[in-house]
Amino acid sequence: MSYCVNCGVELDKTAAFCPLCHTPVYNPNQPVDQTSAKPFPTERKEVAPSSKRPAAILITTVLASVAVCCGVLNQFLLTQRAWSLYVIGAAIMLWIWTVPPLLHHRKDTFRLQLLADVLAIAVYVSLIAVDLDGWDWYLHLALPIILWLGALFLFWGLTMGPRRRSTLSSMALVIGSLGVFTLGVEAFVDVYFQGSWSPGWSLIVVAVCVVLLIPLIVVRRVPSLREEVRRRFHM
Amino acid sequence: MSRKPAKPTWYPLDNAGVLYSAIQRDRYSAVYRFSAVMRDPVDPAALQRAVDKTMPRFPGFAVRIRRGAFWCYFEPNPNPGPFVKEDMANPCQPVRFREDNEWLIRVFYYQRRISLEVFHAISDGAGTLVFLRTLLAVYLRELGHAVPNGPGILDITQPPRREELEDAYARYAGHRTLRGRLEKTAFPNTSPAEPFYTLNVTMGLVPVDQLRKAAQAYHASVTEYLTAVLLQSLLENQAARRYRHPRPVALAIPINLRPWFPSETLRNFILTVRPCIDPTLGEYTLEEIVKQVHNYMHLHANRQEMQAKLTGNVQFTKNRFLQVIPLFLKNPVMAFSYQLVGVRPYSGTYTNPGIFRVPPEMEPHIQRMEVMLGQATRPSPHCASISYGNTMAITFAGTGVSSETERRFFTHLVKAGIHVKVESNRTR
Repeated sequence: MSYCVNCGVELDKTAAFCPLCHTPVYNPNQPVDQTSAKPFPTERKEVAPSSKRPAAILITTVLASVAVCCGVLNQFLLTQRAWSLYVIGAAIMLWIWTVPPLLHHRKDTFRLQLLADVLAIAVYVSLIAVDLDGWDWYLHLALPIILWLGALFLFWGLTMGPRRRSTLSSMALVIGSLGVFTLGVEAFVDVYFQGSWSPGWSLIVVAVCVVLLIPLIVVRRVPSLREEVRRRFHM
Repeated sequence: MSRKPAKPTWYPLDNAGVLYSAIQRDRYSAVYRFSAVMRDPVDPAALQRAVDKTMPRFPGFAVRIRRGAFWCYFEPNPNPGPFVKEDMANPCQPVRFREDNEWLIRVFYYQRRISLEVFHAISDGAGTLVFLRTLLAVYLRELGHAVPNGPGILDITQPPRREELEDAYARYAGHRTLRGRLEKTAFPNTSPAEPFYTLNVTMGLVPVDQLRKAAQAYHASVTEYLTAVLLQSLLENQAARRYRHPRPVALAIPINLRPWFPSETLRNFILTVRPCIDPTLGEYTLEEIVKQVHNYMHLHANRQEMQAKLTGNVQFTKNRFLQVIPLFLKNPVMAFSYQLVGVRPYSGTYTNPGIFRVPPEMEPHIQRMEVMLGQATRPSPHCASISYGNTMAITFAGTGVSSETERRFFTHLVKAGIHVKVESNRTR
């Protein structure tokens, strides 16, 4: 039998290291038994994932019935305006946002789903543009802002999703990207209304973001400060 | 005269069941596991026959859970099973209510080990041990051994009794309630989480006589002694992180209520107490911690306080306002409340169901018993222990990477002169 030289506990004859302190086992008198069965199974299995199909069917049914009812009602009530387009568009948008993620694993189809989410918003706003005859503001203001918003979410998904980042890094990324997003929004608004970009209110937002960012970056990069923050906030 | 087939009889969840079903997620379930390590390799076919014969005697385990408009409820599970399966490296995985033929228990085998995993909403440790003891007796009979029925082994030829399915919380709820205040946030003892779904299990096998001797040196019971050693390990864990403002270290210790409130129920009938050490008051020696735990247990684990606590819990679920709130709104609120009162004030859980006793005819066939608590709501380890013969199996299980708590705990026992043999499913 082997004992851990650090912890003093007896180890199983199949253990190649101490499970408490991870010290490797080197016992010339009794090498690690690699033929006997381990004390616990080694094969990983996963329980069947729960089916989201019933929830998807329920949501689809509710949204479809609302959309169809409003479409039919529009034929008899306030027929001079296509008001049901707002409801039908909202139902389609909600369906795209909620049902496909229930049927597919989010991580596998993140980019595709994000594209679909953004397109759903774009289509919904385009329906409003159809009703109000506003293709001009739609194409030159609403659509760029929606795509810019999509780019922001894509950035967050790519930088924070798959890789685990520290709380400080995540906060810095969110604050920084929100500042850049605000700049973009003002640029689109200015170009649409005035024909050129003259930064104003967005600079105030950016300044606030920078004020918040600098201490975050400093704390992130200086180990002693990072340690102090960890000790103060129980991180 | 032909009779209509009886409609499946449903029954509501008890207090603990309501809570465990409310915090149920796709990636988290309150699941625990009892295992019996036999002397001989397990015969899966005989075990399956034993399960098939035992299940009808335990209708409280042969259920599925349904979501109603206002509450979840149990009803008999008509699906085939539960089927005995080969064990896996990642035990106590979440229960998915609609999957696995809707069973809320699982039976596994590996080499000489028979394991039973149970969703906590259906039963507590004491109830599950009656089920497991009966299952083991039936299994041994299937192998040709003569095992009598006796205390803790139910006669599977008899029909189930109503008392075994009673909601003992409701039965013993009185009028006086204990108005609980929000306890302080405790040191969470978390470490970076392993990828889903990895449960790191570290088990220490300890001679009971040595443990008892060590506990007696402090004039404490084995449970109190181990609770104190665990609290000290957690205090050391926190001290190593050098926080500016250390938090209290507290454990959730489930207490079986049956000794105070006689009940034959096989459903949940437990409450937890919270022994706590506040390091901001100064350093504590192990002797002082043992004394604190010993006094705390004697002061708070009593009939009156337990009854007042359970009355408060029962009144909570009978609240008229709460009853008319739909389940999909109620569950998130209850889950949030659980975070406040059931997670944040605790650094971990330690449960000790005590000694597993079997008739003398069964004793030669069982080598040892094991118990394991499933994943916590956060990546920190839970501790559980059970003894059989002269061996106590103390199991730490958690989804965190670190093994510091286990290392400190078992090292303390080694320093106290107790022999510890460690087994684990860790691969790195």
